[in-house]
Amino acid sequence: MYAGLLTFTAFVVWGITGIHAVFLPPPGTEGEPATTAVREIPWRAPGNLDDKALSAAAVTASGLRAVGRPVLHQRDAGQNLTFAVFGPNGRSDLTYLESAGKLRVEIKGNSFAEFLSASHAGSRRRGPPEWGARVWGVYNEFANWAFLLMTLSGIYLWLATRPKIVWAWATFGLTAIVVAALWWGTR
Amino acid sequence: MFRFMRNVHLALGVGFFFVALLFAFSSIVLIYRPWFPSSSERTRATAQLERGLDARAAALALMRSRMAEGELRNIREGEGKLRFIIWRPGTEVNTVYAPETGEATLDTRRYNFYETLVQLHVNHGFFHDFMPANLWAALSLGVSVGLLLLGASGIYLWYRHPKERRIGTVLIAIGFAVPAVALFATRLSGG
Repeated sequence: MYAGLLTFTAFVVWGITGIHAVFLPPPGTEGEPATTAVREIPWRAPGNLDDKALSAAAVTASGLRAVGRPVLHQRDAGQNLTFAVFGPNGRSDLTYLESAGKLRVEIKGNSFAEFLSASHAGSRRRGPPEWGARVWGVYNEFANWAFLLMTLSGIYLWLATRPKIVWAWATFGLTAIVVAALWWGTR
Repeated sequence: MFRFMRNVHLALGVGFFFVALLFAFSSIVLIYRPWFPSSSERTRATAQLERGLDARAAALALMRSRMAEGELRNIREGEGKLRFIIWRPGTEVNTVYAPETGEATLDTRRYNFYETLVQLHVNHGFFHDFMPANLWAALSLGVSVGLLLLGASGIYLWYRHPKERRIGTVLIAIGFAVPAVALFATRLSGG
């Protein structure tokens, strides 16, 4: 009971995420997320950085927070370095306009449901380095263990306190058959 | 009312036990990937199909002959050959079909138990050609709604235990305030 009360918020986030997932498009048909903001900031990279180090420095200079490491490094038609960062708030595409000495930041923000969906996967090891995301990650990871524990202890409590309820056994047996049949059909 | 809510809590618990266990355990696999073996079995086979088929027709011919089962994904064309994947949770068949000769090569990758659980965890939506994937998605939706109802009925059952109210209130306040502030701060930090 105590674990359930402590992790109730995680249950709500996971529940919303699971319901939201039903309405997501099929893989490969998502399309590009819409750009929600664009800004250019004056910035010149030190000359001795390779692309990877430059992209990390550019993220710091951009002021973007709650994002992971830069990925998807490419060069555009003008040979400008482009890369992306992802975080619970969405995706940001950065372009270092080397000759102009500018950094262009295109933000493709997540909706609140997408934010919760991205957050539900957070853990101590996964997610941006900011304190908010770290605290959520620790809580979410704890809630995962609590969920596993409660799933098993719930069955124990049922068997220990009310083992003679026929409809509970029938429900349990029926779902066992459905899940086993589905597993067999899938494998 | 208490008896009713207790039965609702039990019904949801036993009804979604196996799917909840799948989600709980696969979440642990996702968080602690290095703890779990990531092996997969690979097999190779060839098949002779009709000549001149498009990717969909070739995939359907393979499915009819039971050489592959699942949904068609990721069609690519090049060097006079069609490449596509026939996917279902836990199994991926990378297929190369030559329309000129009708020969198809199937490279089947069968993921292990843990990876299959993860693929079922992220499986969603009712758009799948492979019917069991839709049924898994329906179970996922059910357990998501079930989680919310289990939480709500659990709170009610706790509240009906006066001796537990004080400590429960503290726990629920901590369990709400800490993650809510953390999420709020993350959201405010923007992109």
